[in-house]
Amino acid sequence: MLLQQDHYKKSYYETPFHSRTSELNILNEWQRWKDYTVATNYFRTDLEYIAVRNTTGVIDYTPMVKQKITGPDSAEFVNRFFTRDMNKIAIGRVGYVVWCDAEGQVLDDGTVFHIRENEYWLLCVERQLDNLSISAIGFDVEIEEITDDVACLGVQGPTSCSILKAMGFEGIELLKPFDIKHYDFQGHEIMISRTGFSGDLGYEVWMVNEIALNFWDELFEKGEIYGIKPFGLDALDLVRIEAGLLVPGEDFMVAEFAIRPGSTRSPFELGLSWLVDLSKPVFNGRQALLEEKERGSRHTFVKLNVNGNKPANGSYLYNQSGKKIGTVTSAMFSPSAKANIAFASLHEPWKKGKDKIIAEIYYQKDLEWNRVMEEATIVTKPFYDPERKRITPAELY
Amino acid sequence: MTKLKKKVVVIGAGHNALTCASYLAKSGFEVEVHESRSEVGGMACTREFTEGYKVPGVAHLLHMLNPGIQKWLGLNKNGLEFAANRLKTISLNPNGNALVIDGDHLEGDGITDQHRAEFKSFKKKTNSLARFFRSAYQGRPPRIRTDNKKDLLGLMQTGWNLRTMGNEDMTDMLRFIAINVFDLLEEYFNDDFIKGSLAIDAVLGNHLGPRTNNSVITYLHTLTGEIDGVQGAYAIPKGGMSSYTDALKNSAEKLGVRIVLDSHVERIIVDDNGKASGVKFAKGNEVGADVVVSGIDPKSTFLCLVGARHFEAGFVHKINNVRMRGNASKLHLALSGLPSFNGVDEKDIGQRIVISPTMQYLEQAFDYTKYQHCSDQLPMEITIPSIHDSSLAPEGHHVLSAIVNYTPYSLKEGWDEAKPVVLENVLNTLSQFAPGIKQQILHSELLTPKDLEAEFGITGGHWHHGELTFDQFLMLRPFPGMAQYSSPIESLYICGAGAHPGGGLMGVAGRNAAVELMMEES
Repeated sequence: MLLQQDHYKKSYYETPFHSRTSELNILNEWQRWKDYTVATNYFRTDLEYIAVRNTTGVIDYTPMVKQKITGPDSAEFVNRFFTRDMNKIAIGRVGYVVWCDAEGQVLDDGTVFHIRENEYWLLCVERQLDNLSISAIGFDVEIEEITDDVACLGVQGPTSCSILKAMGFEGIELLKPFDIKHYDFQGHEIMISRTGFSGDLGYEVWMVNEIALNFWDELFEKGEIYGIKPFGLDALDLVRIEAGLLVPGEDFMVAEFAIRPGSTRSPFELGLSWLVDLSKPVFNGRQALLEEKERGSRHTFVKLNVNGNKPANGSYLYNQSGKKIGTVTSAMFSPSAKANIAFASLHEPWKKGKDKIIAEIYYQKDLEWNRVMEEATIVTKPFYDPERKRITPAELY
Repeated sequence: MTKLKKKVVVIGAGHNALTCASYLAKSGFEVEVHESRSEVGGMACTREFTEGYKVPGVAHLLHMLNPGIQKWLGLNKNGLEFAANRLKTISLNPNGNALVIDGDHLEGDGITDQHRAEFKSFKKKTNSLARFFRSAYQGRPPRIRTDNKKDLLGLMQTGWNLRTMGNEDMTDMLRFIAINVFDLLEEYFNDDFIKGSLAIDAVLGNHLGPRTNNSVITYLHTLTGEIDGVQGAYAIPKGGMSSYTDALKNSAEKLGVRIVLDSHVERIIVDDNGKASGVKFAKGNEVGADVVVSGIDPKSTFLCLVGARHFEAGFVHKINNVRMRGNASKLHLALSGLPSFNGVDEKDIGQRIVISPTMQYLEQAFDYTKYQHCSDQLPMEITIPSIHDSSLAPEGHHVLSAIVNYTPYSLKEGWDEAKPVVLENVLNTLSQFAPGIKQQILHSELLTPKDLEAEFGITGGHWHHGELTFDQFLMLRPFPGMAQYSSPIESLYICGAGAHPGGGLMGVAGRNAAVELMMEES
């Protein structure tokens, strides 16, 4: 596409918002995300995090991989591709999904937008054109990657609805969680969904690249009195852990990239059984998942509340007899939950309800390494789950 | 024996399907065979291609009969007789007298005792290696990456069979499966004509040139069968090729198999639980079944009759990638008299005649195939079955049946346009060796891979229902994880040449499938 014609000069792509994000990125901290460069931090991670939790944070989601599935067999196709019952995702709705390889191991997770009849978008971390195309043999569908054609912003936080309303998007407060609505913005159709990665009230806005800068400018102009701030990937990582959301490549190994057998995870092993509908006659990975159900899973995914205040990043976990029973995949001290939280993958000989979980935590003070052993308890509810996340009409300020 | 009399519907009435049906009926299943054509036999049939002239439809030589099946189904009692057996191979020589290969004996221009000794040792070696394959053909192939005891035992057995071949044979086996028939023959022979005459056996019906790796496997595969105790022998059944399949049919019917002809299966019905529950016919009617067995090729079975959407994507992807690039055509000629071939004794004219003077001749013809063209110099395997069976042609007249190799299924210029040209080229090649033959031709027919696909319903017109190469062989046939006749659809089995151990009129795939089915369904 035109926008990216000069990419070879720089070895990375710039998103359509780059001229604005680079102005705001006073720390000049960037990272590569699917060949785009995006801000890691803009001004201070904790303040960006606080903006998302207390006012509104804006994140440039453009590099998220987007695939469009169209054609008369789309509904049947997605139902065979994803593990959950896709018939339950009505037109104008979004669903969280995972999908598996033939061994029932998770390839990636993402969201599916049922945009209109026979049109679905799949948004995820890893490119899926190959998996989708292989799965399309025998179906009358067309698969297209539209990552570079659609710009996307996450507008997340308590005042996000007020800002979008102030921009003139009528009825935005009536969107239920996971609803989609189309609006006109300067003569172009834009799509707004009540979705996000923050576990709070928030929206994602999807637009053509041409209007990206105009949208950004108006968003920040109208958002100023609502405390709008940009936030980077570091702050995103904090809010998504609080929200209990997984990241492929961090919390589980993307099955097609795994080298060692046993390093991948099935949906059952990621606490995602609710996304697997074994009553469907066929879907990718079903046979293997049925077998796993029969023989039992090898791993258990848990959310942990760890004693103390030292984040348990990368910690080994032991039981009371000192046997290794797992590792921490993501961890942080959560200011909102006021708890030291973590995701962990546990395995044998850990016994549910019987064994203790003890984290071996290493941390630095002035470059000196220290080590503590802290007990952890399993948490079943989300770490952070404000009421306003669900309320419709959404709160306005 | 089954306690419950389960009903089995078999799709297709080729030799494997009939074999499978008979074995199942004999062990107490209620078996119904549905064949879309008006006769049984599939590609082993007798075809009246013009009034009064009959030829073997596709396969024209019997050479891989399985003695166990032959005996168990009483094929001889059911009408199988040989009009000619232990056929010699006559390799036509552009520069003189033909080479005559009779068992492990060679005769021809300039053939010395040295050549004969080379040939004997070559035959001894290849026959012994082929026997290893034969041992692996007899049961279901063991699955790899498994903890199933039976499979592990099978793997051990295969390993044991390999080990007990002796050091030399085992080493040769491991070496030969990796190299090509060109290099193998280079090791054993100096004479280009001998090498060419032998190499055709490795490539006939396959998408391979002599220099293509894997071509030793296809060569050994042809040696795994036997006719009346003679390994790798060729025979012509009395009454045409259909008498083999008629014998299978008689045997099946005696065992209680119901054979329905002109009954074209359009779909395999899969119920909501993912189990095959019957078949739907093109006429619109349906029939229920406890078990469905397909004798047609795996691609057609799974992608056309069942449909991709009933399978997980990984399975569909693999089946879609099974290589089925047919490139053998069938030539049929009605002749007003017996043709004569240069350098061939008249008494040898009823033998198996090949046109394959050198390995370069084969390789060059294959080069065209690679780029989806057709050479004007093609290798052939020729028989004149009317010499052994006068019922095939009016008195004094004859029919010629030839397999013409390297006529690719997907021809760039398209078969509609190319067919007359290819036929003309083939006849020109023939008349180089049989100068008067063009004047004797009353009627001719060329069945291209496209025609074979249309008539017999085999994807790509591929005789073996899938290339017989190492990646689609033994436990990898038709593809890894799918090698034990069953399928992801419960109660749906495959029993055709697309399953282990592959094509060649053996019937072993059919029998093995039946044995597997009995264990699973009883």
